[in-house]
Amino acid sequence: MKAGERSSRFLARRLFSAVPLLLGVTLISFTLTVHFGPDPAWEQLGRNPTPEQIQQVRHTMGQDRPFPLRYAGYLVNLARLDLGHSYASGEPVLDILLRTVPVSLLLVAPGFLLGIVLALVLALAAAWRPHGHLDRFCDLASATGMSLSLVIIVIALQAVFGVWLDWFPVRGWRLDGPVDYLEHAAVPTMALIAANMGYNLRFFRAVFRDVLADPPVRTARAYGFRARRIATGYVLRAAAPPILTRVMVAIPLIVISGSLIIESHFGIPGVGLVTWNAVMSGDQPVLMAVVSFSSILFVLALTATDLLTGLLDPRSRSA
Amino acid sequence: MTLPKPEQPWRPAPETLSLAIVLTYLVAAAGVWSGLWGTEWAAISGELHQPPSAQHWLGTNRLGQDVLQRLLAGAATAFEVGVVVAVSTVVIGASIGGVAGFFAHGLIDGVATWLIGTIDAVPFYLFVAAVAVALRDWPGAMHLAMILSFWTLTARLVRTETMRLRHREFILAARAGGLNTFRILLRHIMPNLAPLLLVQSSLVFVAAVKAEVVLSFLGIGLQDSISWGIMIAEASQEILAGHYGNFLAASLALFGLVLSINRLTDRLQERIDPRTHASAHRKLP
Amino acid sequence: MSCIRLAALCLAMSAMAGCQQPDPGADQSEKVYRHAIDGAPSSLDPAHADNVYAATLVKNLFDTLYRYKYLERPYELTPNLAEGFPEVSEDGLVYRIRLRDDARFADDPAFPDARGRPVTAQDVVYSMKRHFMDETRSRGAWLWRDRIAGLEDGVEITDPEQPVSGLQAVDERTIRIELTEAFPQFTHTLAMALSAIVPREAVEHYGQEFGVRPVGSGPFVLERFDQSLAVLEPNPHFDRGTIQLDEEGYDADRHAGYGLAAINGKPYPLLDRLEIHFITEPTARWSSFESSRGVDVVMVPPEMADRVLETRQPLSLQPSIRERYHSLTGLEAGFVFHGFNMANPAIGYNDDPQRERRNRELRCAMRDAFDWSAKNKAFYHGLGRVFAGVIPPLLDSHDPQVAENSIAHRPERAKERLQAAVWQGESLPRLTYGLEASVQQRQMFEQFRAWMQAVGFPPGHFQPRPFASFGEYARAIGQRELDIFLLGWTLAYPDAQYALQLFYGPNAAPGANSMNYANPEFDRLYERAASMRAGPDRTRLYRRLNRMVIDDCVIIGSLARTRLHLWKRHVRMLPDREMVGGFFLRFVDVSDDRP
Repeated sequence: MKAGERSSRFLARRLFSAVPLLLGVTLISFTLTVHFGPDPAWEQLGRNPTPEQIQQVRHTMGQDRPFPLRYAGYLVNLARLDLGHSYASGEPVLDILLRTVPVSLLLVAPGFLLGIVLALVLALAAAWRPHGHLDRFCDLASATGMSLSLVIIVIALQAVFGVWLDWFPVRGWRLDGPVDYLEHAAVPTMALIAANMGYNLRFFRAVFRDVLADPPVRTARAYGFRARRIATGYVLRAAAPPILTRVMVAIPLIVISGSLIIESHFGIPGVGLVTWNAVMSGDQPVLMAVVSFSSILFVLALTATDLLTGLLDPRSRSA
Repeated sequence: MTLPKPEQPWRPAPETLSLAIVLTYLVAAAGVWSGLWGTEWAAISGELHQPPSAQHWLGTNRLGQDVLQRLLAGAATAFEVGVVVAVSTVVIGASIGGVAGFFAHGLIDGVATWLIGTIDAVPFYLFVAAVAVALRDWPGAMHLAMILSFWTLTARLVRTETMRLRHREFILAARAGGLNTFRILLRHIMPNLAPLLLVQSSLVFVAAVKAEVVLSFLGIGLQDSISWGIMIAEASQEILAGHYGNFLAASLALFGLVLSINRLTDRLQERIDPRTHASAHRKLP
Repeated sequence: MSCIRLAALCLAMSAMAGCQQPDPGADQSEKVYRHAIDGAPSSLDPAHADNVYAATLVKNLFDTLYRYKYLERPYELTPNLAEGFPEVSEDGLVYRIRLRDDARFADDPAFPDARGRPVTAQDVVYSMKRHFMDETRSRGAWLWRDRIAGLEDGVEITDPEQPVSGLQAVDERTIRIELTEAFPQFTHTLAMALSAIVPREAVEHYGQEFGVRPVGSGPFVLERFDQSLAVLEPNPHFDRGTIQLDEEGYDADRHAGYGLAAINGKPYPLLDRLEIHFITEPTARWSSFESSRGVDVVMVPPEMADRVLETRQPLSLQPSIRERYHSLTGLEAGFVFHGFNMANPAIGYNDDPQRERRNRELRCAMRDAFDWSAKNKAFYHGLGRVFAGVIPPLLDSHDPQVAENSIAHRPERAKERLQAAVWQGESLPRLTYGLEASVQQRQMFEQFRAWMQAVGFPPGHFQPRPFASFGEYARAIGQRELDIFLLGWTLAYPDAQYALQLFYGPNAAPGANSMNYANPEFDRLYERAASMRAGPDRTRLYRRLNRMVIDDCVIIGSLARTRLHLWKRHVRMLPDREMVGGFFLRFVDVSDDRP
């Protein structure tokens, strides 16, 4: 009862802390796009513009208004949930997000989750017996994964599974039922797992090694407790804080920034491509919507991390 | 995509071997810095797409440039970028994260978490592209862009761990003993975080070497230079046509360096950590 | 944990969504053709369609008054929405165009009762006027500004009802256009995607969203559109009779083996579903083409040349490729070249006449040091056509006689020039070389620098400046920040005037004259040529202009790329990316013996 009250107060405070974060993120992003970003007017011009036309376009886009006014206007619109229209296509930004964010989520989620579970299992098994066969294998596997480039992995997977074996379509995205989904998501998922495995394996293994060296674990192992009990009862919990931090921080990035390389190589209409194009062309309405959305998600992810850490970690509980 | 495995049965590689490999890379880089080799990486010295020969040990690329020259010059770039970024990132991340974690839920922590959150929530490409424009022509722009966007994860990890450690008995004891905060952080907390920081720095090292390509295509980065990342980017265009030279050379070079750095940091971690000091694990069943 | 539950929810949701909408493309008896292009359009509003990607779609969703014949080469106009060719007055100023009486807009909620209505002369007038309204943000107004009476420089249309003297609907089906001076290429501009006809109801109904909700009278309607794929379905109101292959320029010999005869006499469009895949990555494009479920056509990326070609001279394909695919090679209607910024006194015009002469020698020396054949080999399959000047070989006015000095690799001559003009080592100016940030352009820079180094330029004198997007690159050129830059120029219509305008003084940056070439004699002759009708006189004049550009060493160029198309055997078509690009899709047919 008391704990519940405390955590709900905690939650409220965290959500309130989202406001300064949101202000900071939007202000920085806004400044960056306005002062250092590409001039969107130049993307909108024909083949043979005159200086007057350039001025004209800047004017119709509101590019010539003073900065504070533009930022204030943006904040007001954001508060009214009016995200505006994309400069490039004229499509309402909300429609763009509703269309693309679920796609990115469906695309990345399986690879992200499977990759982490796989890396956790391997890393724990490897750390259990340092210098064992599995440990050596993980050593090599993580160095391989870290030194291969994602683009090369994608090209190789497409050539093998799409062309040579012909099991899956090389690219594209269709959601006409679970079979379609699995078919189109399979190869990108493999690519994502392969690309992140190296880093995750290395990081997780180091964390587990650290935890396994804790006195309670060593004592438990010396007394011959069952490995599974030690793993679930202590090791996984004690390793939770750094692992959760690493994983949770990645979630908003994945939902919002998607994976540019995966999306462009596999022809998947996700939000990563949209964000990239918006950055490159200075499509401010799209960019600012993405930024606002991702900062809110960040706050949620961090709050969840803190709550979970507090619940799981046996070391901080004992303290 | 299988990489050649060592032929002899695996023995726990002595850290001297890893050290020797890293030193070899360093020598290669030093040779480039002092102008002994790798200076002709941009020269077009032969026909295009030649297989390895006496003149071009690793063959030539699409333009007829020598792959070996580019590989060597790339080693120098890897150190220039990787080491600088990894060290700065971890130092900055550890300091800010440590202080924030130690004073968790206070004002300093509030400001620090705000800053970390803000930087993390700004899309990476936007951030980096903007730094590129703001600091155009300044040679350190790329390093700065990477450090500014990479330090936050380290800071988060350090903050979380510090928060956990600060209530431990030995810290409380040190506090009671009148040690000031700075000394506690440096003497008692950081050594406990060393394993984490070492691994983190090796991860950042690799990430920086790989991110260099992305940044050089965003308009910053070492414009007048060659890196393994660029070689791999070039390779990705021609690999389907059966030209593997660039890809194999750069990827294997990166693999060798990553593997030995990983090994070295692992050994170092075992040495520093008082609990694993005597290879205690091996005595366990 | 929570993530897993969320993923499971998403999976379930997608499965449910799938059950509700069975996919029409899954039906095997349907005629589906999967086209591939190497970039994605952002807006499908004709007023923004000045790039090949948008034009490909716009020409299929909307109607232009004219189009190019499917198979005829050189490219030849034919009426599309118009009933016949325009009646042009003796002085070439007044055009009368009659519309077909059977054209209708596709059904759309923007119309009353959501029923498409007939296309009228008013629509044509509105579609033109629209380019001169601020909120349209037209990319094509420059084509007609100052050329149509009543649309002089500075004139702005604020209300679609506002009359324009040179742009009138005489009756429901007749348009009268009056020009300020003769512009023989005018009819060609009416075949460009920019001139496509839009209904005012839809433009006003959708507002800014018109760019993603196109409503037109073209052969197809849009079913799905995002940044990786557009799906088009036939427009049931589109009825233009049957295909008359003879009128499209069919030649039984030239087109033997493509199976085109089978489409003769059929109503078009022939497809039930047209997919246009936007694939920017060359490797992904190739892998998709090679796979059984991927795209049906590919423009072979230069990197793949070795795997596709058996010999280059004469051109022949690997037997395995020949067996499996149809192929077609053709020169692009355009070219690539390196331009110099003449406005920079360090390499271009200078108040000091002596320095100006030395600058010319400097530019000419760089041109001599440039090795087109090596560039061609490394980046264009070795199949590109290098030619002197800017009138590409595809055009009648191409000048085969012009001396090839300007495209020959003569490093010795370059050194002589530099020496004679007292240029050496550190005294040479420092130059900014602009590039779009990509692997290829970076390699091009390294190649360029190596050649210049070979004739005595210190390597540090070329500062590469990469730009992450084409828009930024265009801005830097437009603001004259770059000294040397690589540009591609695609002809919107097959006439040398479109290429020569690149050097017309009043078009100086930010206009199309990125070189800021300013030669009064050139401008005078260009103006004269621009209003002349096709004929030997004009050709002579064009060639003279071309030589002026060569003599002044304004550019290093040029090279026309060879497009090498491959497509799967069950598809009956003759693809094109140039004038007919987009227009040919309505004639594409798919045979039943799909593998």
